[in-house]
Amino acid sequence: MTGYVLELAQAVLALLLAPGVVGLVRWMKARLQNRRGAPAWQPYRELGKLFRKEVVVSGNASWLFHAAPFVVFASVVAVTFLVPILAVPLPFDGIGDLLVVVYLLLLGTFFLSLAGLDPGSPFGGMGASREMTVAALAEPTVALAIFALALGAGSTNLGQIVARTMTDPGAALSPGHLFAFGALFIVTLAETGRLPVDNPATHLELTMIHEAMILEYSGRYLALLEWAAAVKLLIFFSLLGNLFVPWGVSLALTPATLAVAVASLLVKIVILAAAVAVLETRIAKLRLFRVPELLSVSFVLALLAVTSSFLLR
Amino acid sequence: MDSLFSQLCVLGSSLVLIFGLILLWRRGVTAYVTAFTWQSIVLAAVTVTVAYFGHDHELYWVAGALVLLKVVVIPRLLRRMERRFAAERELEPYVNTATSLVISGLLVLFGYAITRPLVALSQLPTRAGMPLAMGLVLVSLFVVISRKKALTQVVGFLMLENGITLLAVLGTYGIPLIVELGVFLDVLLGFLVMQIFIYQIHETFESIDVEQLNRLRH
Repeated sequence: MTGYVLELAQAVLALLLAPGVVGLVRWMKARLQNRRGAPAWQPYRELGKLFRKEVVVSGNASWLFHAAPFVVFASVVAVTFLVPILAVPLPFDGIGDLLVVVYLLLLGTFFLSLAGLDPGSPFGGMGASREMTVAALAEPTVALAIFALALGAGSTNLGQIVARTMTDPGAALSPGHLFAFGALFIVTLAETGRLPVDNPATHLELTMIHEAMILEYSGRYLALLEWAAAVKLLIFFSLLGNLFVPWGVSLALTPATLAVAVASLLVKIVILAAAVAVLETRIAKLRLFRVPELLSVSFVLALLAVTSSFLLR
Repeated sequence: MDSLFSQLCVLGSSLVLIFGLILLWRRGVTAYVTAFTWQSIVLAAVTVTVAYFGHDHELYWVAGALVLLKVVVIPRLLRRMERRFAAERELEPYVNTATSLVISGLLVLFGYAITRPLVALSQLPTRAGMPLAMGLVLVSLFVVISRKKALTQVVGFLMLENGITLLAVLGTYGIPLIVELGVFLDVLLGFLVMQIFIYQIHETFESIDVEQLNRLRH
């Protein structure tokens, strides 16, 4: 019973925390660029404002356009139940392993692309085609990178992978783990539309990907999609933080260890957010035609991760 | 203790290999020189680790010589060449970036396959890093044959040498100091000769694209 309560608490925490993470990255980036920047809680205000606004829908849009925000949001909410954010093992571990997580995320991407195509605006189509290009290259890498860890743990269950790394701390420094971390970090940037692949700070560029697809959305639909994107970022951060550096994740369901788990999660998120902010300040956006090269770097890293953890077992 | 030692060696070897892969993905000479410098620093760190855990004092000297030659002298010479040829970027290699990355992944796999008997025979705690060193050797060879600019090929050659040094350090705790010194001298001389060649190629063709050398046949 406590397990199910904890699952629910974990999902709610992820949903509430996610806009703050996006705000934190934006704020850090602004400070690094000598701007004052909006406070980290600005995204909450934006979401609140958008939820109160009316929805304007193009006359050409079909039911898909109305359904897509809910599908996208539901898919990330489902993933928050399956990813080890605070504690392992969780009762829902048996329902979905790493493959379910990867394909739930892909389901959201797929519907978002359909919704981009649906109203027939040229930007939406462009965004959708680019998103599919990126997703087709990034998705196998996510699976492969986590497979490298799964090989060590002997299970594709995310909870078991975390538990295994905690019992064998040396594994965290093995080449399999390091290569997989590099691969997953690059994919995180690609999947969540961060800088070398997509520019999250603008929706007035011909090169945009995520913003191009949601350009036609307004009001609470837009709020849902923005929120889902923020939760996706949080999910990737907690995968990076908890699969590779699992210390802090609660193994027993006592209040003390859970408090430690929340604190360590916050620390990991702040570190990763700082890394992303520094990276986004240092580098420029890649040309679209170089994006597949970046993703093939991450694919090769993931491939090496799988081989070395397979051969060095 | 041994497990920490082997973890550190594998970690170092992985980093050395990753710096080797940068050569395939980046295009500017500046990035190559930085990657080579960092690779040599990590290589020296691995050597010091082996010296400390293997109680081999000669290896400290080897590490010192390595830092002097490959972190200070050669990068400085490379930077001087870079100032002159900075505009010569690796824009059209024989094999495009995405394909060469996949090929290099396969080469590392091949490295794992051929060092398997070696790893199985060895009792040393450093053995797990050997496939990665072999992978670096193969990837660097691939850089040398698939890139057109002479400067990229030189960096590829230097990384090949780093791979061989790493293999020696991991496989046998280093070769005798006197041999190592000879190797370092060879590397330096080889590098200087290649430098002269590059300047000559540039003099003749106003470019360091080695494809131009094909014209010499006529």
